[in-house]
Amino acid sequence: MTVVVLPGVPGAGGLYLRGAVSSGGLAIRRRVDRAPRDLPDVAYVVRGVRADPDRLTEFQHLLGESASDALPAGFVHALAFPVTIALMARPDFPLPVAGMVHLSNQVTQTRPLTLGEPFDVRATAADLRAHRTGTQVDLVTTVSTGDDIAWRGVSTYLARGLFLRGQGPDDRSTFDPPTPTGQWVLGADTGRRYAAVSGDHNPIHVSSLAAKAFGFPRAIAHGMYTASRALASVGPARGDAFDWSVSFAKPVLLPSTVNVRIAPSETGFSVAAWSSVPHLTGSVTPLA
Amino acid sequence: MSSDDTYLNLVNGGFTGKVAKQFGLPQPAPLRRFAPGQPLLDGPVLVLGDDELADLLATDWALDVHRRPTPDLRYSAVVLGLTDLIHPSALSAPVMELAGVLKKLARGGRVVTVSRAASPEDAPSVAAARQGVDGFVRSIAKELRGGATANGLVLAADVPVTAPSVVGALRFFLSTRSAFVDGQLLAIDSSAGSLPSDWERPLEGRVAVVTGAARGIGESIAETLARDGAVVVAVDVPAAGEQLVAVANRVRGTALQLDVTAPDAGARLLEHTLQRHGRIDIVVHNAGITRDKLLANMTPEKWDAVLAVNIASQLAINEALLTSGDFTDAPRIVSLASTSGIAGNRGQANYAASKGGVIGMVRATAPLLAAFGGTANAVAPGFIETEMTARIPVVMRQVARRLNSLQQGGQPVDVAETVAFLASPAAGGIVGRVLRVCGQNLVGQ
Amino acid sequence: MARRTSTPTPSPRAAYVLGGNRIPFARAGGPYAHASNQDMLTATLDGLVARYGLQGERIGEVAAGAVLKHSRDFNLTRESVLGSALSPETPAYDVQMACATGLETVVSLSNKIRLGQLESAIAAGVDTTSDAPIAVSDRLRRALLDLSHARSTSQKLAALARIRPKDLAPSAPRTDEPRTQLSMGEHQALTTAQWGITQEAQDELALASHQRLAAAYDDGFFDDLVTPFRGLTRDANLRADSSLEKLASLRPVFGLGLDTPATMTAGNSTPLSDGASAVLLGSADWASSHGLTPLASVVDAEAAAVDFVHGVDGLLMAPTFAVPRLLARNGLTLADFDLVEIHEAFASTVLTILAAWESEEFGRSRLGLDGAFGSVDRAKLNVHGSSLAAGHPFAATGGRIVASVSKELHRRGPGTRALVSVCAAGGLGLTAILEAA
Repeated sequence: MTVVVLPGVPGAGGLYLRGAVSSGGLAIRRRVDRAPRDLPDVAYVVRGVRADPDRLTEFQHLLGESASDALPAGFVHALAFPVTIALMARPDFPLPVAGMVHLSNQVTQTRPLTLGEPFDVRATAADLRAHRTGTQVDLVTTVSTGDDIAWRGVSTYLARGLFLRGQGPDDRSTFDPPTPTGQWVLGADTGRRYAAVSGDHNPIHVSSLAAKAFGFPRAIAHGMYTASRALASVGPARGDAFDWSVSFAKPVLLPSTVNVRIAPSETGFSVAAWSSVPHLTGSVTPLA
Repeated sequence: MSSDDTYLNLVNGGFTGKVAKQFGLPQPAPLRRFAPGQPLLDGPVLVLGDDELADLLATDWALDVHRRPTPDLRYSAVVLGLTDLIHPSALSAPVMELAGVLKKLARGGRVVTVSRAASPEDAPSVAAARQGVDGFVRSIAKELRGGATANGLVLAADVPVTAPSVVGALRFFLSTRSAFVDGQLLAIDSSAGSLPSDWERPLEGRVAVVTGAARGIGESIAETLARDGAVVVAVDVPAAGEQLVAVANRVRGTALQLDVTAPDAGARLLEHTLQRHGRIDIVVHNAGITRDKLLANMTPEKWDAVLAVNIASQLAINEALLTSGDFTDAPRIVSLASTSGIAGNRGQANYAASKGGVIGMVRATAPLLAAFGGTANAVAPGFIETEMTARIPVVMRQVARRLNSLQQGGQPVDVAETVAFLASPAAGGIVGRVLRVCGQNLVGQ
Repeated sequence: MARRTSTPTPSPRAAYVLGGNRIPFARAGGPYAHASNQDMLTATLDGLVARYGLQGERIGEVAAGAVLKHSRDFNLTRESVLGSALSPETPAYDVQMACATGLETVVSLSNKIRLGQLESAIAAGVDTTSDAPIAVSDRLRRALLDLSHARSTSQKLAALARIRPKDLAPSAPRTDEPRTQLSMGEHQALTTAQWGITQEAQDELALASHQRLAAAYDDGFFDDLVTPFRGLTRDANLRADSSLEKLASLRPVFGLGLDTPATMTAGNSTPLSDGASAVLLGSADWASSHGLTPLASVVDAEAAAVDFVHGVDGLLMAPTFAVPRLLARNGLTLADFDLVEIHEAFASTVLTILAAWESEEFGRSRLGLDGAFGSVDRAKLNVHGSSLAAGHPFAATGGRIVASVSKELHRRGPGTRALVSVCAAGGLGLTAILEAA
């Protein structure tokens, strides 16, 4: 496997542009049948990453958590995310970044990373596979200090309408709305506010015009915002080590108010967010 | 609260005052009111007749007493001792001596007569002489100017001039506390009562209840009784509670929100007062309402409401007091009557009936308290500057103000001072009487 | 659950409720619209002073609070004391426990009296929803703070440049639960649905509240508990002529998004209110030296909290846990009480609490008992009406209840006992036992 060591975490904004360019190039190459069909055997690495205290504080406050030196698992995702994007924006990445849909996200945190602690980010892509509506891929990111992996995330993305591995089975399940425990009142600026603290300026979250270009009636909330907010709502009961797993259903159009249920389950906590349609389901499971 | 008497201010102003004088308009003088520390009299007092009175004034009160008029001297007061009159002709000498100093009487000066009550048992000449004092006092009260007043003490047969109530009443009439009491003859019925150790705090150690204390005359009564040393329970209807709180806190007493017409009003009043203050000595029935209508237009509701508040409640509360066994240490009831209750008033048949009732009530109640050294009396205010009289149309109000010898309305404090006097230990010999605070209003007796 | 707390240490002496005072509660935007918390608290203290002759008295401590408070009111209670007829040497401080603030001041000051630390105290609470603090938006506040900290002109300009027109819109205080973003009514709607409480049952409770409060006013019960303020002589929310028909005709306002029928209307929920209340507390010695009659003693208290954030229990259900713990510690059952005062945040709050206590399942699984905790005789419940009729200026409700129930205990005579329960935002509940003195 090739290891590409980047000098630092790239700016995500530029990456989206590069991704868009790369996606455009990919489309042209696909038309002449010279597009890549397999994942590049490469790992992107950035060493000595540190969190910015102001951004951390703003992130925590946006999610309704008290500011602390422990980095929220969602914040770690946001820090590492540009490295993943850089990998996906490579010309030899087989799926177009632009318009990709975030299907689900699993994170295993074995210990909280702390402010001031330098850590390494490593991103790889794996398991290119069929989906009912296209092709999906796992982006695997690990965050570690030395040999100690503190955080491991697997983000599953879908390229809709591109069938590199054939058509997958229909594994949709029905959603039966439970009794809510609360609600999220999400203003029109939710996407812009999360973009500011996460660095993820994907246009479909910050601009309704851009969202329309991708087929959404209005701007949509970041999936990772809703996932991070669900994790925050579980509260300290999640412990320092946990599995945090979410599946995204329909996107949350902004502004809107969605019902949520964050409730104890047999293994930990179940989380769900829905309005007239399901948006997110998942679980937070403390690790012994 | 008192409304400002613009007219009084104008006629006492420089230019407007001169104009008023030239046109022969009424010339009301600003009345001097009592303030703690004020000397009883500013200048010399001429005491004609009675030696014992002269001794009292000179010795006990350290006044500059003259037994003979000094020409051109400005006297603050003249006291006429007339207790030994046996024939109308005997009035001549003292009256003419008084006449000689009247023109020089100080502003706000005082003339007080001390005489005996005429009775059918008297010899005709004695009765004539005694009753003659009555007409004489009422007349000179109408002649005096500059805020000066004339009043008389009328002693029952066996009451010596040194009796506490004679001394107390004389001091009251000489002082500025009686500023708006004019042309009145106050009967002294017995030698009961006691003199205070401190004339500035005659109510020290006494606990007083004042109904209708949230505003107006009641508020002033509460303040005056507290100033004179009493601990005050300020009572008013629950709806007046906000103002009542202000009064109670100002006089450092307690507030009792109570509808005096409630069946248990007497019991609650007693319970509160005894529990908080350990005793109850003085009850001032001041709470009152008006529902004016010509009788032809009167409704039962208006009639009954006025009678219920103004007299029935007092009767019920008095009964609770008298049967409690706790109202026995020289108790005092002072009840608010009205000149309407004496002379009547068009449109106030209900009010006048209730206030007339008050006069009858104190007359019959006082003897019941006599065994405990107690008494009950009434105060009948005339035109007093209050929120209530401020609502009278302006022309009528100006006329009403001038219809008395002092040619002005009284202040709530004038009523309060009289109440405080009747509530004082010295007033024990005044039994079931009515003292008017009206500036010698033209109406009635 | 059901962990028995320690047995109470014998108290060296009793702390007594000697009396109380409140102003009539007004509806938001009504006659107190321009009165501040300090205005109302001062007037209430002055009324208490006048009723009990405390002019110039140095009270041990005055504790009070408000749920909605301006930042300028950082020393609200002390400022109110300084403006009152009490001695300016009376110490005072603020307390905040959401809607339980008023009761908490009673409990904590009683404990200080029991300990011998205080001889006298005034427990109070006040709230205005009319004069609620309006804050600037977070972005504007941040920019202004940065501006005030900026040293150079360029830093100042940079701070100013961040301000956007929409940042200038004021931000009103929210009464939503911060962690769930649900209003109290929406939370209670969930609990109401869970326990299957009907609108009819809620309306009946609301009607009883109005009728009982009106009767108490007519009987003069409040003559020595309430002092008029700003022309208001009775609680503005009181509807003596209410009826089940009128209440039934009101449209539900909470729980509209649930798949169960919405049952909570403006008629069976408390309105936003303005008002203040105060309770005079003292030792037996202090009471007798001031000619005051102890009405009731504050025996014991217990607070509880529930995890409503994760839907474990309803937001306002904490009293269901506090009362069993409190009664167990004191060796009492619900049947031992002559009076039960459960704050009517909503009619259904009272009804869901009663339902939980009557539930075998809840008793076993949540309270750790052998069966149901017990039931409350409705004739003993909120005998002179409660918040549905009187209104509910958050921090003032505890004082209203304690003063009224203490007077009623005193009327009923020695040996009578009352249970007081107040639910509060944040899943809090505070309960107390009072006994006739």
